[in-house]
This record gives sequence, structure tokens and C-alpha cells, in this order.
Amino acid sequence: MTLEEINLIWLEGQDCAGCTISIKQASNPTLIDVLTGAIPGLGGLKLAYHPTLMFEWGEDAAKILVDAIEGKYDPFVLILEGAIPEEAKAAPGVYCVIGEYEEKLLKLSDTIDGLSKKCAAAVAIGTCASYGGIPHGNPNPTGAKGLLDYLGKGWKGALGLPVICIPGCPPRPDNIVQVLGHAVLAARGIAPLPELDEWHRPTYLYGSTAHELCPICGFYSGGVDAHAFGETGCLGALGCKGIITNCNASTTWMDGYGGCTRTGVPCFGCADPSFPDTPTSPFFAKAPAGPFIKETMKGTWSHMMMGLARLHRRKI
Amino acid sequence: MMKGKEREITIEPITRIEGHLGVHVKIDTEARRITDAYAYSPMFRGFEIILRGREPFDAVMITQRSCGVCPVPHALASVTAVDQVYGVSPPPMGVALRDLVHGAEQLYDAEVGVLNLEGPDYSEIAVKKFNPEWWEEAQKTKAPGSDVHGFAAIADIMTALNPLAGELYLRSLLVQKAGHNMASIFGAKHPHVHSFVPGGIAKINLSASDVESYLTLLMRHVAFAKELVTVTDDLLDFVLEQGYEDVGARAANLGSVGAYNDPAAYSAKYEEMTDWARKRLVSPGVILDGGLVTTDLVEFNVGVREFIGRGWYSSEWEHEVEADPLGNKIMKEHPWNKRTIPKPGEYGKWESLYSWVTATRWWHWKGDGKNHVIELGPLARMWVTAKAGLVPESTGNSLKFELPAALIPGFKYAGAMEFEWKIPEKPNAVERIRARAYYHAYSAYCMLNLVMAGLELLKAGKADVWTPYEKPKEGIGFGAIEAMRGACSHWCVMKNGVIHNYQYQAPTTWNASCRDPEEKPGPYEEALIQTPITEAGESEGWKGIDVVRAIRSFDPCLGCAVHVHIGKQIVKHELLPFAVPL
Repeated sequence: MTLEEINLIWLEGQDCAGCTISIKQASNPTLIDVLTGAIPGLGGLKLAYHPTLMFEWGEDAAKILVDAIEGKYDPFVLILEGAIPEEAKAAPGVYCVIGEYEEKLLKLSDTIDGLSKKCAAAVAIGTCASYGGIPHGNPNPTGAKGLLDYLGKGWKGALGLPVICIPGCPPRPDNIVQVLGHAVLAARGIAPLPELDEWHRPTYLYGSTAHELCPICGFYSGGVDAHAFGETGCLGALGCKGIITNCNASTTWMDGYGGCTRTGVPCFGCADPSFPDTPTSPFFAKAPAGPFIKETMKGTWSHMMMGLARLHRRKI
Repeated sequence: MMKGKEREITIEPITRIEGHLGVHVKIDTEARRITDAYAYSPMFRGFEIILRGREPFDAVMITQRSCGVCPVPHALASVTAVDQVYGVSPPPMGVALRDLVHGAEQLYDAEVGVLNLEGPDYSEIAVKKFNPEWWEEAQKTKAPGSDVHGFAAIADIMTALNPLAGELYLRSLLVQKAGHNMASIFGAKHPHVHSFVPGGIAKINLSASDVESYLTLLMRHVAFAKELVTVTDDLLDFVLEQGYEDVGARAANLGSVGAYNDPAAYSAKYEEMTDWARKRLVSPGVILDGGLVTTDLVEFNVGVREFIGRGWYSSEWEHEVEADPLGNKIMKEHPWNKRTIPKPGEYGKWESLYSWVTATRWWHWKGDGKNHVIELGPLARMWVTAKAGLVPESTGNSLKFELPAALIPGFKYAGAMEFEWKIPEKPNAVERIRARAYYHAYSAYCMLNLVMAGLELLKAGKADVWTPYEKPKEGIGFGAIEAMRGACSHWCVMKNGVIHNYQYQAPTTWNASCRDPEEKPGPYEEALIQTPITEAGESEGWKGIDVVRAIRSFDPCLGCAVHVHIGKQIVKHELLPFAVPL
């Protein structure tokens, strides 16, 4: 497969466009950098289909999807934002239609069925596309699923990669653009293949919990809990789920601004596969005690040893 | 049947809130006018069903996820409703910080709306293709505001709006990032801000340096507002001169719930809502046939009726709430009573049920007793604020304010500038866009005032951001605030400590509403019916640019597929271009 030119086909399902809004804030690189080919190694990417960005319209637009299903856009990466409803539950109506071609409705699920047979790789952006997210929330009125569940953990694209998930609601702007960029560099043999965890998240971004990366985590190890919003201290007693959520949004949001716990907001697990159901909800109920107890036991011993180690003068 | 040839155009897909919008129109090709229109949504997620049985607190985080473009008004309307349910009043600093996050979003959203969503419909590419005679004229017409924005002729402005290439289009994409950054300072992130909690805001280590960061970014919007308003005025005055006043026109039936709370006045209490809502920097109110009939948010709330109309829902629910906390009679169709019971139906049956959007109407219960079709959005709220006389900037027929001087590299005009937005003759496509640009400038002005209010509070040692509360078992609440493209209104009924019923109306709910039980069309539908077609060429080749411009002027959030039919035969399938930029 020649990869000099790669088409990107971005579908929006049961989504809010928040992931699209997020990626347009990215800085390192910006989306414009990527699309203009300003970054070495990332040239030749063409946004062939994005319902909200594309220049083409008319039959040309719907035809892109139909043609891609027939292999005319190979190689292409399938990108999904939003969850996939179960259309059988909607009969005789519809839950998610993304277009119409020759008097035939293009339902989201049918389109994914077709595209997933041809795509080089598939990337799910956001918690909805990854694991179902809010539409999948109990009682899941529309039978919504994420791409990982819809295609299955064993699914592989033409490049041999499984579904790549970038969870978060939305994911940090740079997370999205960097995973997409990294996947392209890897496909072209420039960067190593991204290592994925059991939830198909790239470990270089999602390998640590929001708690481990938390800028105010020192208050936890220092034994200072906040008991009111606005009070400086560990946010665990206010319901922080950072200890069970693999996410880097606790650090900052973008360009050095924001960041969940850094601002003072308890993490409520919007990047976790369980979101928005237990154990992430109720969002401001305390996280399960188990992980805290485990960390405290390990930490108590280690803190003693670390303290003792600091009694010796460092030899340089 | 009409005399001339008939042509049908379908615009599809809007989500209930912000995703997939559809419009189906019939055009008399000889008279070159739209004769009938249906607006609908082909996507459903079921948020209100998912909310049942959860903590009211969680609704603040869940409901904003209906819309990634305008999440903050959802968060703010929701947290206001939950403030009431829990019976807690946030401290003034909590209110001010919520306002600052809200304003930050409005600034980014207005820029994107005017220059990246609506602008390309008037770009060189679009005008040359659809209205070539305008292009000739635009090249000859000098831009009156060129000393502010630097474009010599109107045609130069059009070129600057070309998608992904024009100067204004690209600069807007860069400037809008500052809005997200500002929202993240006090909101933790954007889209979907996480710091809004009942009783205030979750922000630690609040200091003057946070406010300073915000102010620095705000000044970029202040500088940009001067260019944005001037360039919009020049372009739109030109478009009006080409005979565009009837495109997207409808009668002046408008509503606003108000925005930007006064930190000293907001108490969250429903019983005091009339007073604190009137002190908002953007006024609440309803205009019927051009006349202001109320500025009372309580009266507005009582008058809201969400009919199922032609929506794919069942209307079988109990009339549980009979009066509001002040004793006003609450109708069965009021969202405190309404339930969400989906009943999916066949697609494209215009004479039957056709949409996932319901038919929300405003019942003038203190006046004629009728249910009115009202339009929401920047034009409506500027109109109400200009007429209401509740803020010093309101003159009765205009809104006057000044932005200070700001010399910032990359921006073209450094001087101070006075703005006056005047109430236009009627709502139409052009005036909706103009109002959005002026609302950007007015929001920047309001945020400057609120930053100063925030600094005053800090100086006075009133830095508390949150009021603790004891959560009750039962409660009822209503919260409403203006979003860029309409208003967010949320209603929550709590029983046994969890959500018994949660209903909310997105900005699009009012404007994209379907036919009601009296067969009255919704605002999108009204604006399309009788819209003239200016598009060049024979009807077979029409792409529906006037339909697109009329619909875009309302600023629906996402891209829509447009299908053009002639009679029964479909000849073209189209996607609306340039819905959301990058």
C-alpha cells in the first residue's frame, strides 16, 4: 500500500461536534499545519470527508462515502466522532441518518459497515465514539455503542492495526491531533507503532491516571483534603475520579490554560469507558476507596524510605 | 397546486440540539419564491431519558454535552436550575466567574459564526457562482470602513471570506482560540466546562493573575470586534442594496431570556427572579408584532409550552406540576410537566410527523392568551435589550456603547470605538448576521465591565467562589440563559433526591421547531416561506444558496445535507458547505 497520499474520512454520528471544536484549538501542531502539509512527514493528508469542513457538496459529497466503500479512496483512515445507535430499535423511524444518495438513506451504521471493510485504519475520537459515552448512558435509549464495541476488539484495518481510541469528552485538543499525526508517521515507518492498552488507548497519552499526573497531587501525599469547592487541597473527598481515570487533562487543557484538577475541579471520569455510569457517576460521589487504600499503603512505606533516603547528603 | 413549476429542496441532517438539521422546501420557480417549508431533525440521542434517576448535580455536566459548540449556556442554565432545586445562592465571585466563562464562549462563537459559518456564503467564491452581478458591483463599490479594516472595496471583503484561504476566515480561526483559552481559565476546559457546580464555581487559587490572563486574551477580542463589526456592516449594507431584505424575513415576534448576571443581584431564587433577571446586562423579554410585551422572566417561563406538534414523540404524560413557586398556573405542555417519550416514525412524511424537534410556543397568558411563534438569537436579544431600557446602554431604539483603545500587533485598528446597534425594520437573514457581529462587540464590552467587577470583589476580600448547602429531598428549578444562536432553558424536578423529570430546550429547539397543533410553522419555516430566490441561472441548476443563507443566518450549529428535487424526481444531492470551520 503506497502511503504518500492518505485520505481522511471523518464521520459524525450521535455526537455534539465537541471533538471537532476541540481539534480546531490544537496547537502542537495546529490542524492547519497538518492539512497544509507544513509538518515534515505529515504531508499528503487529505480531508476527503468531514460533514462540517469539506468544501465539496452536492452529489459529490454523498458520492465520496459511496465511492470510499467501493475502495476508490484507498488508502483512507476512518475517523468517527459520536456513538453509533442501533437502527433496528428505531423502526419504522431512524436514529441517525448522515445523508442520502440516489433516494437511499445513508444511515450511520450502514456507512460504517461498508467503510470498515476498506479502511487502512480506524480511529474513534472522544468517549462516545470510543465506548458509547453519553448516548450509551443508562438506560441507553437508542442502543448506542462505541466503535470498539461495534467493530470488536479483534477487528483490524488494512494496515493491521486495531481500532485506536482517543477518549475524553472531548479529548484534549493536542491529544487528538497528536494521535492522528503519530498514526500517520507510524504507518509511514517514521515513528514507532503506538502501543495500545486493553481499551485501545495509546499508552503514551493514556498510560497514567489523572491522579498520577495531577498538578495538585502533592496535597494528597501531604494529607491535605479539600472539603469545599474553591478550597486548595486534594479533591478526592469532593468526588475526584482521577485515581480510576486514565487521562492527561488534569494537567492543563491547552496552551497552558485550564486543566481539570489544576483549576480545582474534581475529575469525574469523562475519559473513562464507564462514563457516564458507575463508577464515574454520580459524578461528585467519592471514587471507590480501594485504589486510594492501595496507593496509601504503598505510599506510606515508600514515603518513609524516601524520607530516610533524604537524610544522606547527595554525593555529586 | 401552484401555477408555476414546482421544485423541492431538502436540507438534511440537525440533532435535537446541535447536530443534524434538515429543511425541506417547495419553490415556485416562475415567481422565484419559496412557497412552503419544513424544518426537521433526523438524529436522536435521548438525553432527557438518560437524566432520569440521576443526581441533579450531574445534569450540569451531562446536558452541556448536547452541544460541543455552545456548551456553556447549557451548563449555566442547568446550574441555575439546580441552584434553585438545592436552594443555594452562589457568592458574587462565583456568579462573576460563571459570567466570564459564558462571555468567553460567546466571543469565540460569534467570530466563528459570522466569519467562518455565515461569511463564506457571501465570499468571492459563492458570490461569483451564485450572484455574479453582485461581484461586478462589489468590485466598483468602495468599503466605507476601510480605514478600520483595511479592505478597499467590498469585493476585497468577499475575497477575505473565502474558506480556508481568505484573510478574515483564517484570522478568525486564530483569534477564536483565545475564547477557548479564556473559558478554560475558570472553566478548566472548553468545550464542556467542568467547574460549574451548584452554589458557585470550583476554582482554586483564585488570584488577580487569573483575571489578568483573562483580560489579556479579552483585549484581543476587543481589538477584533472593531474590525468584525465594521467589515460586517460594510458587507451587509452592500448585500441589502442588491435587494436582499426579504430573504429569511419574518414578523418581529422575538424572545430573550437575558444573559450576563449582575454578581451583586443574582440570588438564584425563583421568587426573586423577575428582579435579578432584569438586572442582567442583556435583558430578558418578549416582543410580539414589534411591541415589547414583557421583561419578566417569570412571565416568560410560565408562558413556555412545548407541544409535540409533528415531532416523533408521544404526548401521553401526567399534569403533575400545577403551579410555579409563586402560584402561577403551569400548563400541561410546560416543560415542568412534559416528558420525553420517543415514537420513531417514517422519514420524509411532510404531511404527517416529520421531526425529532418539538413545537415550542410562547403562550401570552397575561395578554391575548394565544400561543406565539417566537424567534431567539442575537437579533432577538439585541432588539429586546435596545427596547427594554433596563441597561444604561439601551436607548429605546438602539444599543450604544464604547470599546477602549487597544494597540495590539496583528490587529488593524488601535483607537477607541463607539458602537450603536439600531433596531432594523424587520428580522431577516442580513440583520441576524449583523446582530451577531454587534453582539460580539457588546459581549466584549460586558466582559470588560465584569472583569472590573471581579477585581473589585477581590480587592474587597470577597473571593469566595462557592456557598455550601444541605441538599433537600424535593425541589423544582428553572434556569435560562442566552446562547449564541438562541437560548438554553432547563427545567428540573427532583424527588427523593434524584431527578424525577428533567427537560431542556436547546438554542435550536425554538428556532427549528416543527408545525404546532394549530399548524403554525416554526421560525425557520416562517423565515423560508416567501423567501425570494436571487440565485442566478435556470431553476434546474439551483443549488439553493438563498435557502442556505436564510437558514445559516440563524446560525444552526452543524452541517446539513441538502437534497434538491424537481417534482418527484431527485436530481441533486447537496451538502451545505462550510458549516463549522476546521
